[in-house]
Amino acid sequence: MKPAPSLLSSAFLQPAGQALPAPLLALRKQRGAALVDMPMPTRKTENWKYSSKYLKLTDEMATSLPTAGKTGSALAVPGYKVAFINGVMVPEASEYPDLNDILIQRFSDLSDAEASELAERLDSTLDAKAVQFAGLNTARFEDGLVIRLKPDAVLDQPLFIIHEVTADASGSAFPRIFVEAGRNSQITLVEEFISSGQEAVFVNSVTEFTLAEGANVTNIRLSMGGENVQHIGATGVTQQRSSRFESHCVGFGGPLRRHDLRVRLEGKGAECKLNGVVVTQGTQHYDNHTTIEHVAPNCDSEETYRNIAADKSHAVFNGRIHIHPDAQKSNANMSNKNLLLSTGAEIDTKPELEIYADDVKCAHGATIGQLDKESLFYLVSRGIGIREANVLLTMAFINELVAQIPVDAVKDTVQIRLNQFFDQAFQEV
Amino acid sequence: MLSIKNLHASVEGKEILKGINLEIKAGEVHAIMGPNGSGKSTLAQVLAGNDAFEVTSGSVTMHGEDLLEKATEERARDGVFLAFQYPVEIPGVSNLQFMRTSVNAMRHHRGESEMNAAEFMKLAREISKQVDLDPAFLKRGVNEGFSGGEKKRNEIMQALMLQPKLAILDETDSGLDIDALKVVSDGVNALRAEDRAILMVTHYQRLLDHIVPDFVHVLAEGKIVKSGGRELALELEERGYAWLGIKDDETAASSALSNSAN
Repeated sequence: MKPAPSLLSSAFLQPAGQALPAPLLALRKQRGAALVDMPMPTRKTENWKYSSKYLKLTDEMATSLPTAGKTGSALAVPGYKVAFINGVMVPEASEYPDLNDILIQRFSDLSDAEASELAERLDSTLDAKAVQFAGLNTARFEDGLVIRLKPDAVLDQPLFIIHEVTADASGSAFPRIFVEAGRNSQITLVEEFISSGQEAVFVNSVTEFTLAEGANVTNIRLSMGGENVQHIGATGVTQQRSSRFESHCVGFGGPLRRHDLRVRLEGKGAECKLNGVVVTQGTQHYDNHTTIEHVAPNCDSEETYRNIAADKSHAVFNGRIHIHPDAQKSNANMSNKNLLLSTGAEIDTKPELEIYADDVKCAHGATIGQLDKESLFYLVSRGIGIREANVLLTMAFINELVAQIPVDAVKDTVQIRLNQFFDQAFQEV
Repeated sequence: MLSIKNLHASVEGKEILKGINLEIKAGEVHAIMGPNGSGKSTLAQVLAGNDAFEVTSGSVTMHGEDLLEKATEERARDGVFLAFQYPVEIPGVSNLQFMRTSVNAMRHHRGESEMNAAEFMKLAREISKQVDLDPAFLKRGVNEGFSGGEKKRNEIMQALMLQPKLAILDETDSGLDIDALKVVSDGVNALRAEDRAILMVTHYQRLLDHIVPDFVHVLAEGKIVKSGGRELALELEERGYAWLGIKDDETAASSALSNSAN
């Protein structure tokens, strides 16, 4: 493999598929042109400082993976589901109700007028300078999904979006989702990123949410891809007055995992709650960058992230809270705790607070530690095996966050993966 | 049941136990007294298997088997129980989950089937009443936010749940008011049985008013310097450790504290 060039290789700027309405094709072309001289991040790039060394894109990975003929595994999921295979929504593998007030459409099915409106809104929740790779997704998406909830629309069950890559060959996938939640609408969207096959692949995903006044959106995001998947993902959220956004991100490490989560509280009284759990092992990596912009007054944000790193793995957390001058009476809480399960593991954490208003409550805390030896001794002194004692204490570190995941089926999936993690992380204990 | 021969142990290179000899038979209650720093708690920790302490020579056998060879959890499964002087708080693991995992680990070791949730809850509720702990405690994190007395009662509750062969009580009376001391003592007395031995480590005689020992040993500078019956404890109460030629700088201060606590 040749090393990645210092500029994003032009091979990555060749989108696949021409089935999109003209306004979206134009947008894609425009974004592509803007990326011609996009520098690849290095360790001197501040927001990639700890992660640039894990990013190893080769030209073989530049081509979009084919979707045709793939069925994926989404149909095994109970309830409403949408299958994305290799970055493209596959209707045959999806099942969801046909509702008047909740429209679930592929970009390719939009009229030119609708597409034109969408083209103006894509990327509006993400700051292109801060989230370099979101632009690449816009330059490359083959198709995408737009979910529009009309005012007062309520989806009665969670909607699962299964993002699957079939890595039978090297290549890439660019899944794109735009969710527009109308006034007082409600939806729980579960996104699960999975993979099959062994070849080196690149996933570059973007999901955006715009919440109108009073909208209530819950997003659960599971990153479960394989050891052959480099994944750079971004989630952008804008919130109007009195809306509520809740996010549960659970990530298992890989060769490169990056997730940028950006929330803008633009309307008075908006509220967000961001929970995150990351576990890494072997030589895996995971990097979470979150930003909460308190733009309007009287908004609340609460952020709780936990990282657990075993073996020689590496987890990164960067949490930024930015309170704008007009955002008086902001209430922001950020907590990041980190657990190192071995001396070879590394966790880098950086809370960043920028406060330009004077009447705010803003608290943050970050800790890094190991399992407590006295607690371990206490447990084993009661006949509990050393391995199980390690599992109990490690699970105790994230219990609260796992318990808060509001969909039981997802909680079960997470617990099963965690148990696999424990089996490997503590096999020599 | 338990035979300790010439036991030496050190922590961070400093020798704390300097040749302990002690024989404990089933059914007996032994008290180990001594000034602070004499090695009482070290002995308790070494018997339970805390690897922060290094055994440098000597032997400990229980029911004829080498205890020191065994891992902490194996000792526990063979019936060694240590009631901690400072029980650890473990947020995120509920008391219920902790005790059920513990009880089932023991049952598994004995070749018995696991207790189901309902059976376990019934037992746990009964025993929590016995030590005067509100069953609501079971749902909280292990010792999380418990008062000193509640932590000690939780230790005795665990002993009653696990029914050990050898119960080692490390300063179980410290930090207890007189009512809590009564509850804890009643719990310990309920543990007394023909096939069980109890080893109490204590600084003060007052616990021995409630739990009457068969034997009392005085530990000083890592060695047992005197052994006797219950009357030895009373004599110590009256005459202090100086009578045995032992320095105990802290006795006066701690007695004053203990009196004011009462």
